[in-house]
Amino acid sequence: MSVSTSSVTATLDLSGQARAQRRFGVRGLVALPLLAFVVLLPAHSDTFGHTAAYAAIFVMVGLSMNVLTGYTGQISLGHQAFVGLGALTAANVVNTGTTAADPFMFGVGIVLSAVTAGVAALLLGAVALRIRGLYLALVTLVFGSVFADAIFTLPSLNGQDAGVKAYRPTPFASEYRYYLFALAMVVVCYYIDVSVRRTKVGRGLVALRDNELVASAFGVNVLGYKLLGFTISGAMAGLAGGVFAFWTQQFSDKDFTAAAGFNMALTFVVMVVVGGLANRGGVMAAAVFFALVSPISPMMGSIAQHTGWLNFYNDHKFYISNVIGAGLLLQTVILNPGGLGQVIRPFARWFAGHPFTLHDPDGDSGVGAMEGSSVRA
Amino acid sequence: MHESVLAASSFSLQLNFLSPLIDGIANGAAYGLLGLGLVLLYKSNRIFNFAQGEFATVGAIATYVFYSGTGVLPKLPFFLAAVIGLLAATGVAMVTERLVIRPMFDRAKVILVVGTVGVALLLIGIEGLLPYPKTQSLPEISDVLKVQPFVTRIDNVAILDQDVAKVVMLALLALGAFFFFRYTRTGTAILAVSQDATAARVVGISVERISLISWAIAGLLGGVAGILLAVPPAGTVTPGAFTGTTLTVAFAAAVLGGMTSLPGAFVGGILLGLIEAFANADSSFVPLLSRVQNGQAELAVFLVLLVVLMFRPRGLLGQEA
Amino acid sequence: MSVLEVRDLTIRFGGLTAIDGLNLKVDEWEIVGLMGPNGAGKTTAFNCITGFYKPSRGQVLYKSDDVTKLPPHRKAALGIGRTFQNVGMVKSETVLENLLTAQHTKTGYGALQAVAGSGAVRAREKELVARAEAILELLGLGEFRDRRLGALSYGTLKLLELGCALATDPDLLLLDEPSSGMGPEESHQLGDRLLALRKELGVTMLLIEHHVPLVAAVCDYVYVLNFGKLLAEGDPDHVRNHPEVVAAYLGGEAPEALAETELPDDQQELAEATS
Repeated sequence: MSVSTSSVTATLDLSGQARAQRRFGVRGLVALPLLAFVVLLPAHSDTFGHTAAYAAIFVMVGLSMNVLTGYTGQISLGHQAFVGLGALTAANVVNTGTTAADPFMFGVGIVLSAVTAGVAALLLGAVALRIRGLYLALVTLVFGSVFADAIFTLPSLNGQDAGVKAYRPTPFASEYRYYLFALAMVVVCYYIDVSVRRTKVGRGLVALRDNELVASAFGVNVLGYKLLGFTISGAMAGLAGGVFAFWTQQFSDKDFTAAAGFNMALTFVVMVVVGGLANRGGVMAAAVFFALVSPISPMMGSIAQHTGWLNFYNDHKFYISNVIGAGLLLQTVILNPGGLGQVIRPFARWFAGHPFTLHDPDGDSGVGAMEGSSVRA
Repeated sequence: MHESVLAASSFSLQLNFLSPLIDGIANGAAYGLLGLGLVLLYKSNRIFNFAQGEFATVGAIATYVFYSGTGVLPKLPFFLAAVIGLLAATGVAMVTERLVIRPMFDRAKVILVVGTVGVALLLIGIEGLLPYPKTQSLPEISDVLKVQPFVTRIDNVAILDQDVAKVVMLALLALGAFFFFRYTRTGTAILAVSQDATAARVVGISVERISLISWAIAGLLGGVAGILLAVPPAGTVTPGAFTGTTLTVAFAAAVLGGMTSLPGAFVGGILLGLIEAFANADSSFVPLLSRVQNGQAELAVFLVLLVVLMFRPRGLLGQEA
Repeated sequence: MSVLEVRDLTIRFGGLTAIDGLNLKVDEWEIVGLMGPNGAGKTTAFNCITGFYKPSRGQVLYKSDDVTKLPPHRKAALGIGRTFQNVGMVKSETVLENLLTAQHTKTGYGALQAVAGSGAVRAREKELVARAEAILELLGLGEFRDRRLGALSYGTLKLLELGCALATDPDLLLLDEPSSGMGPEESHQLGDRLLALRKELGVTMLLIEHHVPLVAAVCDYVYVLNFGKLLAEGDPDHVRNHPEVVAAYLGGEAPEALAETELPDDQQELAEATS
């Protein structure tokens, strides 16, 4: 059977395109300063550049969680393991000692960080595929803490107390240059997320999130696509980890194990929910926010220093970020299920060429995306 | 010659065997209590409660601050402090039910689970911001009772009385739970709701009230587990003390019981406590684990969890799907 | 040539034999009805044919190939399309997105290609959208293109589901109670539509249907199931007057009154059975 495409005429929304072109001037006026802000502000100082690169890493993890939780509907409570594995891989590939990394090996390390984490996610997915719904969330939680404790503490891999050194290659040595590199990696992840969502891959993932039976009736290989979702998400998280290794310029297991690792895993969940599940823009905005208030963020430290709260801040920074994150999470799930994405969506839609309206005709991302989720115990 | 070899090996066997056995049962008792709370909430609300570990921490911290008289608080006798600790844990659980679970009663379960993750994170944060010494432990029971620290020695292996206390406590609570769910009106109502909420509503059981009671009991059980766990040498009243590994093991215990079996959670807790204790005592206990430097116990628990979920998804003792 | 042939199909759940030695045949260009009282095993038969259940015994032949053991997505790719009893679509997506999702196996690009992104993928996507729009026009649903499913009436959803099934580009279409939730007028229109679809697209159909006028209007041949066994077969008039069929229905309910679902929550049960 074939449906003739020639029978469809003039259904394309030409008026919408024309409108988009006419308004580009106004959009440009808003978009250009925003772009300039993102690219140029971090050049202000080393602290700004360092902070911005950290935010870029969080955005990559946010996009990774967006693919897994937003599209596939699976919760991962152990994503720090993939980030850590990426960092471990990148650092061990370069293992620079006190010298700057060879640019070629730096590239190899970054690529392999994505590959190893992707493979680990694939393996976890393959083992866990028989496990359904909320139980899978439990397995990811245990996987995260156990994997981190068991693998990251191997002395042959973690450089013991000193950590594995991963000094940046000379072209990216400065904080701002490294930020630009991290930003480029964000663009890669963003591009992948967009490609996934706009093609049959994303549609297949969302279909199996909503209803596995319908998905398979549409010809989606449910098991294969779950694995694909896991793998893409794991690889992105690993890439973020690789970038993280060269951000701190070393791999230290303490960043990913015990309470720090657990904290990190929960922060990732918090940011994807607060941002609005399956809402790319919202998740990215939330990721930036949580990077800035994170205990590792240089920004909070310098604010505390300037306001005279440094000692209190240093003693309590994990707890402060916990309270902020948890408060926003609960606020989101109970009162504002659309998350940040819902708030910024009118603007995002306007940028995409639609007329500006606060009324949201297709607001079905955020926690609402999980409402129909087939993930249950 | 043959006999002397046997005698020597049996001596070392006891040393290597008895101590982790008791450790395992004692810790497993606490895991079992936490697991029991998880099963109860799964039965009443069909969710996994990731805040269960923090109910334990809240109980332990509240007990500690009143026992030691932190800051402006009065210094109370241990048992009074423990009662306050249990009340605090129960109260926090009830507030969680009211403010987080109740407003989302009809939402997808996965969202409620995310909500409990939020509660856990919030409690850790609040505990951390409270001014109290964070690395302390609760007193040993021998100190509280002002008796010799050892209850008994079997072939030179000391058995701590607090370990015995844990086991006795577990036995009492297990018995109590059995009677509660078998013979009390509320207990049977909880089970009825878990089996068929609509039918339970039809016969006049308030599902909302049952939910609140279930959370209160889960909080209480969590508090008891917290007080049992926060004793030396390993236990502390650090914020988030029982949300990491402890909660994981408790979940594994509940899963061993198929998330639905109360006795299953008890047995699962003790089983995992034993596995953990033996893996910690001797890493050659499981051949694969000896290569790992750290976290053998967690790895063993993870493997058990994975195998059960893959091959016995309804648990070893689970009754319903 | 027969498009679908089912031989000695038997499936048991525990001690219950849901289908017992079913034989049926659907030839090319035919519209075949599958009738029977509630619980007769009609939807179960669909689930065996489409691969959601693994039959205990027997064979499913599609275009003379044995496809009994293939998983559902492989069968969908081969050209066996289906609809569900209580509307099977992706709830959180728009009408257009659902039609795009349904064209999953017809995209002509691989998953890796999609992730890497390329001009070819974008060009194909445009064609998929055009085809989705053509299907919407065909069913007169063009105005709903960008609506979310939650905003649509049940009748529209049933029709749209038919559109999604068509979008999978089936050679054989299995429709599970396509007229449920429709009034007499609407179901009359549906009959005309099904006949038109066969004429225009050459698609062969097997449908579960209780609405006798619709069956009489469109079906070339009818099978009647009762308690998992074949009770009668023949052309609609023959079957309608078959004494055992009448008895089976009167023993339960009149056929017209069977518009409600056979297994109230078939998808839920499927999920449990296939897990």
